[in-house]
Amino acid sequence: MVGNAAASESEIVSVAIGQWAVAAAPSRLRTLLGSCVGVVVYDRKGRVGGLAHIVLPASRGATDHPGKYADTAVPALIAEIERRLGGAAAGRLVAKLAGGASMFPTGAPSPNAAMNIGRLNHEAVETLLAARRIPILARDLGGGGGRNLLFDVASGIVSIRTPGGAERVI
Amino acid sequence: MSTNLSGARERFLRAIFERGAEGASTALSRWLGTEVRLIVSAIDQVDLVEASEALGPPDALVAACAMGLVGPLGGSILLAFEDRAGLALADLLLNRPIGTAVEWGEMEESAARETANIVGCSYLNALAAYLPSGPADELAPTPPNLLREFAGSLLQFALMEQAMEFDQVLLARAAFDAGKAGLDLNWTLLLIPDRRSLQALTAELVDDPRTP
Repeated sequence: MVGNAAASESEIVSVAIGQWAVAAAPSRLRTLLGSCVGVVVYDRKGRVGGLAHIVLPASRGATDHPGKYADTAVPALIAEIERRLGGAAAGRLVAKLAGGASMFPTGAPSPNAAMNIGRLNHEAVETLLAARRIPILARDLGGGGGRNLLFDVASGIVSIRTPGGAERVI
Repeated sequence: MSTNLSGARERFLRAIFERGAEGASTALSRWLGTEVRLIVSAIDQVDLVEASEALGPPDALVAACAMGLVGPLGGSILLAFEDRAGLALADLLLNRPIGTAVEWGEMEESAARETANIVGCSYLNALAAYLPSGPADELAPTPPNLLREFAGSLLQFALMEQAMEFDQVLLARAAFDAGKAGLDLNWTLLLIPDRRSLQALTAELVDDPRTP
């Protein structure tokens, strides 16, 4: 299934741009972010979590690439986690967010579109998670550089490496 | 949504990008004092996952001079290179033996930015003659930003404008060839039009009498 890479034991699953994946501990999920936003949702007790690599805030009716848009990827990610937990995740899911960088001016005639997309992605994801009463435990958003994100499903720890920078944990 | 680039449109795009490459080759050869050729290696129309690998493994660190386009076209130009190739450029410009520079300093960064500016300006000047608006409208790059970045993150950002409209994105890729032995020109030039420019290039120009 597109965008839904199920992981086996101890695996590191790479989540490509515009895709999402769900895994159980001890698997880890990783992705590389620029202006896109990485949405981590997990149930620490159930030891199941997922990661979506959001490209754009709204699908505007497009159905071909549900992992690309916040309004289709986030519900799909949550539904798959809940399915894996057999409905036991109610009230236990939490989230962490990273990404949304603005890296360089892209010039006319639409100079602001790409610069703003990270912020719009962030806002869309916040709204979607709030509507589902999923608390956001940590955010690492904005700035001018890329992020290499690694999510450990067992602990819920998200490690973020930046070009030439030290690794940080949220 | 797809731009359905094929046939005559692809040939037209390749032709105008080759004109840009010819202009940049002349200017770059003069700037470096040695013959250098830019060769349009690909006009790629691919999905986002594949496009994010256009500069190699997405998590590889690359140096790149990023420029926006100002004028009748919008989008970005990226001149990307591995550290070794970027530092070799600085050595060449500073008349030092290749391999002298081992890290990025003010001189090396300045050499990379100026080279990107020359490549970008000459590429766009040559290309502009084949746009519907013609050479009267100046097409120019913004001042280059030198970045050290994950290759995938860089491309993700540069392609975002197209991704807003299309499921497949288009980028024109050019490689460099230097006549001088020992000069590592493992650089890549990417031209990434924004969605409005891409639509204009692929939809309106196919009947242009200058189309090859």
